Parts: sequence; structure tokens; C-alpha cells
Amino acid sequence: MHFVVCAKQIPDPETPPSAFKIDEATNTVVPAQGFQPVLSQYDGIAAEAALQIKEAQGDDAKITVLSVGAESAQAAIKQVLAMGADEGVLLQDDAFEDGDSHTTAKVLAAAISNLGDVDAVFCGRQAADWDVGQVGLLVAEALGWPVAILAKDVEISDGSMKTTRVLADGFETVSQGLPAVVTVSNEFGEPRYPKLQQIMQAAKKTVTTMTHEDLGLDPSEVGSSGARLKLEKLYIPQSDSQVEIIEGETPEEQATNLVAKLVADKVL
Amino acid sequence: MVANSSTQNNRLQSQLIGKWWMPAIALSLGGLYLAMQFSATEGAGRESFFNVAHPWSVYVFMSSLVGLLVYGLVRHATLWRLGKDTPESVFANLPHRFKNVFRLGVAQDKVRRDRYAAVMHWSISSSIVVLTLVTAQVAIQDDTPLNFLHGSYYLFFSFYGDLFGLIGLIGVGMAMWRRYFIDFSRIRWDERPEDHLIIVGLGLVLLSGFFVEAFRIEVTELTQHPDWAKWSFVSYVLANLFEIFSMSDNQILWSHSAMWWTHVVLAFSWLALIVFTRLDHLFFAPINAFLLRTDSPGRLSTIPNIEEQEIFGVGYVQDFSWKQLFELDACVRCGRCTDVCPANLAGQPLSPMHLIQDLKGHLASVGPSIQKVGNEGGDTRSVSPISMVGEVIQDETLWACRTCGACVQECPVMIEHVPTIVDMRRFLVMDEARLPQTAQAALQNIEMRGHPWSGTALERTTWMDGLGDVPIFDGTQDYLYWVGCSGSLVERNLPVTKAVFRLLQESGSSFGVLGQEETCNGDPARRLGNEYLYQILAEQLIGTFKEKNVQKVITNCPHCFNTFKNEYPQFDGHFEVLHHTEFLNSQLQSGALKVQHELPDTVTYHDSCYLGRINGVYDAPRQILNFIPGTNIQEMERNMSKGLCCGAGGGNMWQEEVGERRVNHVRSEEAIATGANKVVSNCPFCIQMFEDGVPAMQPDEVGRIEPFDVAEILELAVFGEQDSSIEEKTEI
Ligand SMILES: Cc1cc2nc3c(=O)[nH]c(=O)nc-3n(C[C@H](O)[C@H](O)[C@H](O)COP(=O)(O)OP(=O)(O)OC[C@H]3O[C@@H](n4cnc5c(N)ncnc54)[C@H](O)[C@@H]3O)c2cc1C
Ligand code: SF4
Ligand code: SF4
Repeated sequence: MHFVVCAKQIPDPETPPSAFKIDEATNTVVPAQGFQPVLSQYDGIAAEAALQIKEAQGDDAKITVLSVGAESAQAAIKQVLAMGADEGVLLQDDAFEDGDSHTTAKVLAAAISNLGDVDAVFCGRQAADWDVGQVGLLVAEALGWPVAILAKDVEISDGSMKTTRVLADGFETVSQGLPAVVTVSNEFGEPRYPKLQQIMQAAKKTVTTMTHEDLGLDPSEVGSSGARLKLEKLYIPQSDSQVEIIEGETPEEQATNLVAKLVADKVL
Repeated sequence: MVANSSTQNNRLQSQLIGKWWMPAIALSLGGLYLAMQFSATEGAGRESFFNVAHPWSVYVFMSSLVGLLVYGLVRHATLWRLGKDTPESVFANLPHRFKNVFRLGVAQDKVRRDRYAAVMHWSISSSIVVLTLVTAQVAIQDDTPLNFLHGSYYLFFSFYGDLFGLIGLIGVGMAMWRRYFIDFSRIRWDERPEDHLIIVGLGLVLLSGFFVEAFRIEVTELTQHPDWAKWSFVSYVLANLFEIFSMSDNQILWSHSAMWWTHVVLAFSWLALIVFTRLDHLFFAPINAFLLRTDSPGRLSTIPNIEEQEIFGVGYVQDFSWKQLFELDACVRCGRCTDVCPANLAGQPLSPMHLIQDLKGHLASVGPSIQKVGNEGGDTRSVSPISMVGEVIQDETLWACRTCGACVQECPVMIEHVPTIVDMRRFLVMDEARLPQTAQAALQNIEMRGHPWSGTALERTTWMDGLGDVPIFDGTQDYLYWVGCSGSLVERNLPVTKAVFRLLQESGSSFGVLGQEETCNGDPARRLGNEYLYQILAEQLIGTFKEKNVQKVITNCPHCFNTFKNEYPQFDGHFEVLHHTEFLNSQLQSGALKVQHELPDTVTYHDSCYLGRINGVYDAPRQILNFIPGTNIQEMERNMSKGLCCGAGGGNMWQEEVGERRVNHVRSEEAIATGANKVVSNCPFCIQMFEDGVPAMQPDEVGRIEPFDVAEILELAVFGEQDSSIEEKTEI
């Protein structure tokens, strides 16, 4: 079997608010000094799901990691390789830049078709930078494959994929024929810590790079030219908070004063 | 400045105990002098094997004993040989090693850390040594042309033979008192039948020795040479007692001969216990003192060429070094290590004694088969039916260790538990990738963000807010002030960093900081077992230091201090490193810093493991506190080298604790018990642990003991309360 994990490299979500800056003139995020981009956390979980299935099958299933991104995204690919994935392909091209979920999915789908024998695609539930949560669905759409989103459990057997999905009010188990796409949610569990031997093997592996030509894509349908989403304005919302200490001798008195205050302010 | 009295008391006591051998020497010299005075006794002496039918049989016993000892040694050595080479040569630094043999092996420095045991063990060991020499002299007198056992020397010989026999019996008595008559638990945590055999056996050997002598004296000296007999003062008393039974000479001779044989058989059997019981520490302890590392206990060994290795850390018994295997055999199950282990005190699943004993048992059970399979060229890693790391030693046991070094400090046979534990952690992390989720998060955070504080909202420069111009180190200043991850990324520690900064500035010192360019120095990674990550970080930072021409470093954190000072030299990073308390103390001493304000406070001082026990800095922080008028130190029960870990060491800052209690609760309780109003430390981790532990142990906010860093207190004393960073702490 051949599985694909889609891994996105994102600006570190743990960048402290004070270091997070936006250039409002160009509507772009100014890379925070001293903060390296990281693998989107949900993609580590997606990789974990694929690895567990590979291990459960015990056969020579193969896992390929795909990432659309800049040269630096090699690090994200290597991280998944260190976890135990077999091959990595970086989809890197100026033409892919400044796309949206739709164009990213188009590139990924082209790469998956290019691989040929893929049985299942594992995406994260959403990329932890923009939190859009569309790419997995759009990849399935582009490939014409079934998709299950927000999976907390995934099993693959007898040519079908069974997933347990996290819904607002419970869980839902669905089965779909292969090939299929799944987006994996954080309820699945934590990604593994790579063994040193694997880290070093991963460091030695070469990551293939592919461009629009390799994938047979027209530059006009990908990246900024193909994007349907137009970014109007990017800004950090102002938030203000005021603290008022409610006086009172006893907790009861404080509570009474608080209620009076809330009523006066028309909160209650 | 008056040094604190309880600290001074401690010093004095330890110095006095340090002189325990003085009375012994004085007594012996006195005896010799007295003997010399008795010129009338020139003819004193005796027949060596008086009344013994086949004295040569002693040599049969003797050679069997030697044979047995050799057998025992070979049996042990084949198992030790399963181990790998030691990471550092055990022959480097020979003078230091011989000093250790004398200080730790012969003078039993570590044994003396328990005063009762000091007297007991010295009594027993000195008596064994002296009586062996006494016996050897008899043999030399008898079987060589040398003739010296007569006259004054004979009398002196009789005197000290008896003296040390008596001392030995006192020691045996003390040992039996502890073992059988009082509730002294630690020696019973792993009690075995051999323990009774050893102590009762030795008592019988000594008693029978006195009996033999008493019977002989009764026949040969009591009436003929009473002035000689008195020199064997114990047997003399005994012989006089025997007179009550008014036995015939023949009866006495028969009793003497029977007793002699009993004594010889007992003595040799007892010595044979060396081969089969923990009595082997007679040899192993001094040898292990020789093998003890001569560098800092704060230094873990490196894995050279780590990228080319296939085995990381120790997952199988044959992955240990032979020295680590040897050590297992030296353990005497005294329980001292477990008695001081913070994890054990908090009811967590770690007892260093049991860890060592379990490994020893494992080596004994699988060692011979591993050796056999190895000799046949087979796969030694599949020999053991159970996994050493995971089953013999459980993961949670390894994770519970704080690398605080208390066990190593106490171990009377110089076992180094910490490297052994960390070696197994290395296996868990690098080979098996099996580690607690929170530890994993810390390590991954270091990998991704260069610091272990996942989730922090602070930047490395946040602490500089409001401090005006903070000089960035550019190679022209004398000192690099190293703030560290905890000093800049953990809110509670910002006031400490500010305080140190302002004090450095006030003292007029030439220094700069790295600000945004600081990264984790690797200590948490190394202690958690990720040596690979540690090496990457260490090499990177050493590069930065060299590039910026850093020569001298002042650190906030004892862990950074230890890493720079003791571990960076392994990677060719040689810097002069000071902890802020050392530097600030020197500035106070020189007058560059002046205390302007009185602080009427009773404080208790907590020695962090990595500044105190591991690097021996006990005085500087206390001296700073003593500089402050009105402040007096109330020591905790466990202090200085016996100080208890706060609970955070060894990467436990980033782990959930498993067990009955939390270590910081235990230590907070001890701080509270002093009645002090502040608990002062020198380490960002300790302070965080107290901030968390104190409220749990002292829920009432009124009168609660407050945790501070020494620098915060000094800042108050130098700048006054109105003008200190400490205020910010209450705002958090
Ligand atoms: C407001 C806004 C501003 C933007 N600004 C920029 C910008 O300044 N520069 C820029 O380059 N792009 C920008 N983008 C585009 C953005 O990077 C794309 O939307 C992104 O490539 C698709 O990710 P997503 O957040 O939609 O992914 P989601 O749909 O949230 O991701 C779901 C899953 O799809 C997979 N996946 C997503 N992206 C990739 C990928 N690149 N490679 C491999 N797998 C992937 C992962 O498995 C992921 O877990 C912007 C988008 C928005 C909405
Ligand atoms: S180093 Fe400290 S925590 Fe670890 S075993 Fe020794 S005493 Fe216990
Ligand atoms: S390891 Fe040392 S301190 Fe611990 S029980 Fe053994 S001999 Fe005693």
C-alpha cells in the first residue's frame, strides 16, 4: 500500500504576541525574528495515523510526504521522515506562491496523481496558521476520491478505510472505499518522538523537488494567479480590557456588589 | 560580618568527625611509650603456636582462602568483562585517584557522613585490619628468621591486639544494636541472611580470640609473669574470671586447644564470606574509590562520534562500562542512597539502592549466558528473556531521578548512580523514543524553538523592558551575563534577572548580554537523555561564544553554570564561569556593591543541587545574606551537601510526578518548619518549585513563607524596597 501525508510548514504558532507583526501595506506577516517555521501540529498527527496503519499492516506499505512550500519546508518533510515515513517530495515553485486552499490542493492532487499508486491521503484537520481546514477536502474533490474529515480513529483493511469522526455532539463511524482522503483531528493522539537512528537516516535521505512542469500544471491555474480567494486586509485586532476590583468585606458582599454592577452595566 | 552560627556549627562538627582517627593514634602511641618504659620486661615473649598440635594446618586454611578469593575474583571479573571500555581512562590523574583511595577508601570519608556508622564501621574495620596484622606478625615471627616479638614490643603488641579486639567488639555491639534493638529501617530495606552471618560471625571470631588468649595466659602468664599478662588487658580480666572455675592445667590446655581450633575455623570461614557476600566491599570499596571519576560529579560522559553509533545509551547490561558493572558488585545495601533520595522521600517509584541491586541481580542472572553466547559469536542482545530497561528497571523509575547527586554523595562505596541512570535514559529517548509526553514536549520545544518552555508568551528580551540601555555583549566587555531560558521566558524569574542586571550595573562591572541570540545550552536535553540534541546545542553555543570572544560568563541559573563550567570543556569550550551569587558576593567583599538598607528578616537558605552539592558553592550565597543587616539565616534540617532537591532537577521540571507526594511539597514543608519568613535560593527552578509547593503546604496566605532568589534580596538591600524589581513579583 502507498500512503501520502500532506505536511505544511507554518510560522511558529508559539511566536509570542509581542513578536508577531504584520505589514499592513502588503498584507503579509512579517517573519518573527528568531522564530523558525515549524511543521503544522495536526500534520504530525496525520503522519502518526499513517504510520500506525503501516505498522499495523506489517507489510511493506510506503509513506510519501508531500509539502507545498519554500525550500525551508524541507525541514517539515524531514521531521515526518524521521518519524518513519519513507520518501519526501517538496512541491516548490515560484508559480505556487501566494495561492489559496484551492490552488494548494490542486498542486497536491497533481502530485498524488503523479505518484500513481496512492491508496490513501492523510491530511491534518487544518493548518495551524490560517486554520482554514479546506485543503484535505479540496484534494479529494480534485482527485474525485471520497473523504472523511476530523477523524479520531482510522483503520484500513480489505480495501476500505474506516474512520471515527469527531462531531459537535458525538462520534460518527464511516467507511469508504479506497483510494480515499482523511483529515486527522487532534483527538487521534500525540505524534511519536522519533528515534535517533531514524532522525539520522532521515537526515541522509534526499527530498525530491517538483515544479509545475514536473506535475504538468499550468502556472496560471496555481499560486496567486489561480487563487480564488482575495486577501482584502490583514490586521491584528485591537483588544482592550479593563479590570475593576469589586470591593466588599466578605465574599457574600463582594458577590452582591458584583451582581449590582453587572445589572447596572446591563450585562445581566 | 559574623558567619551564621548553625552553618558554623555544622562545619565544626564535620571537621571534628574528620579527626576521628586521632584518638586511635594517640592511644597506640601512648601504649608504645608505656611499653618502652618497662625495661624490666626485656625477656617478655611467648611461644607462637603454644599448645597447638598441627600449626601448619593454618597454612592449609590460608591457601584455601587465597584460592577462594581468587576464584571469587575471577567469577566476578568474567561478568565485569562483559562491559565496554570506560568513556574516560581510569588511569588518568593518578595522584588524585590515590588520594581518593586513601580519603574515601581507607579513611572512609563517606562512611563518616553518618556519625553512628562512622564509629561503628571504623571500630570494625580498624580491628579487622589491626588483628590481621597481629596475626601476620605471629606468622612472621614463627616462620621466618626474624625475631621481634619479645620484650617491650611484645608487650605493646599484646596491648594493641587486645585494644583493637575490644574496639572490634564495640563495633559489633553497635552494629547489633542498630540491627536488632532499635528501629533503624534503612539497613533492613533489603536485609538478607548473610547480614546476620557477617555481624554475628565477626562477634564470635573476636570473642573466641579473646578466649584463646585468656586460656593461654591462665597457664603461661597469670602466675609466672603477671606484669606481662596485664598488657593483654582484656584477656587478663577474662583469665582471672576463669580462675573461678578452678580448672586443672590439663582442662585449661584442652579448652585452649579446642578454642584455638574454633577460632581459626571461624576466622577463616568469616574471611571466606568475602567471596560470597557483601563483605567483598572490603576490597571493592577502595578499588571503586580509585575508579571514581576525578572530574566534577556534574559532568556526564559524552557519546563520541554520536552520528556513527548504532547503540545509544544503555539498554542491555553489556552496554554498561565494566566500571559500571563493577560498581554493582560493590554495593553493600546500606540504604544510604535511598534514604536521601528526594524521589524516594516523596514516595515516588525510585530507590537508588534497589536500582543498583536489581541491576546486580540481572547481571548475575543473564551475565553468564551472555558471555557464553558472545563467545560463540551469537547475538548477545537476544539472550535476556526480559528487557533490562522497562522490566528490570521500569521507565518511571528512571524518569523519577532528579540527577541531584544526593545518592552519589552519600554512597560509602563510591557508586555513581547518576551516570548509570542517565545512560538508561539515553537508551529510552534515543533508541526507543519512549518518554513521558511532557518531557517529549520539552525536548521538541528545544528542537523547534531553542528553549524548553513550550507555551511561553515572553521573548528573550522582555525582561529588559524598563531597564534602559541594556549592553549587548560584543567582546569588549569583561563578562557575558548569561540570562538563560528560565531567566527570560518564565514570568516568575524576570525580577531575578532584572535584579542581577541592576546589581551588576550598580557594581560598575563591565558586562553585556546576548539577548535574542541566547539559545538553550542543552542541559535539559542532556539530563533527559537526548545526548544528540545536547551535542548539537552545545557545539552551536560554544561556536557563538568563541565567535563573540566570550571569556568569562556570569550565569543566573546553576544548571547553565554547571553545563558551561563542567560540560562544555568536553567540547573544547573553556570559559571562566561564575554563578551570580559568587560574582555578587565578590563585589560586596570588594566594596563595589554596598548594602544600604536593613532587612529585618529570618530567611532560610535552600542549596540548589547544582550550585551546592554538585559544585560545592555553599558559602557565597550565605555570605551575601550575612552582609545584610537585620537578616539572619535559619538553616533547614537538611542543608549544604545534605540539602534536598526542590524536585525539578534532571528534567523533572517538565514532567508530571508519579507517586504519593510531590518533592517540592516535601521541601517546602522543610522550609516552612524553620519558621523563616522567606525561603531564599539561587536557581530559577527551585524558586518555581517553591512558588508552587509553598501554597500547597501553607494554604493560608497570611504569614506564608515567600520564595526569593538571593539576588532579589540583595537588590532590596542595595536599592531599597521602593526601587526594586521584586515588586513586579506580586503583580504577576
Ligand atoms: C488570509 C490568508 C492569507 C494568506 N497569506 C499568505 C501569504 O502571505 N503567503 C503564502 O504563501 N500563502 C498565504 N496564504 C495561503 C495559504 O498559505 C494557503 O491557504 C495554504 O497553502 C493552504 O493552507 P490552508 O491554511 O488553507 O490549509 P488547510 O486547509 O487548513 O490545511 C489542511 C491540511 O491540508 C494540508 N496542507 C495544507 N497546505 C499544505 C501545503 N502547503 N503542503 C502540504 N500540505 C498542505 C495539510 O495536511 C493540512 O493539515 C494565505 C491564506 C489566507 C486564507
Ligand atoms: S540523583 Fe537524586 S533523585 Fe536520582 S537517584 Fe540519586 S538521590 Fe535519587
Ligand atoms: S548504592 Fe551505595 S549507598 Fe546505596 S545501598 Fe549501595 S552501597 Fe549503600
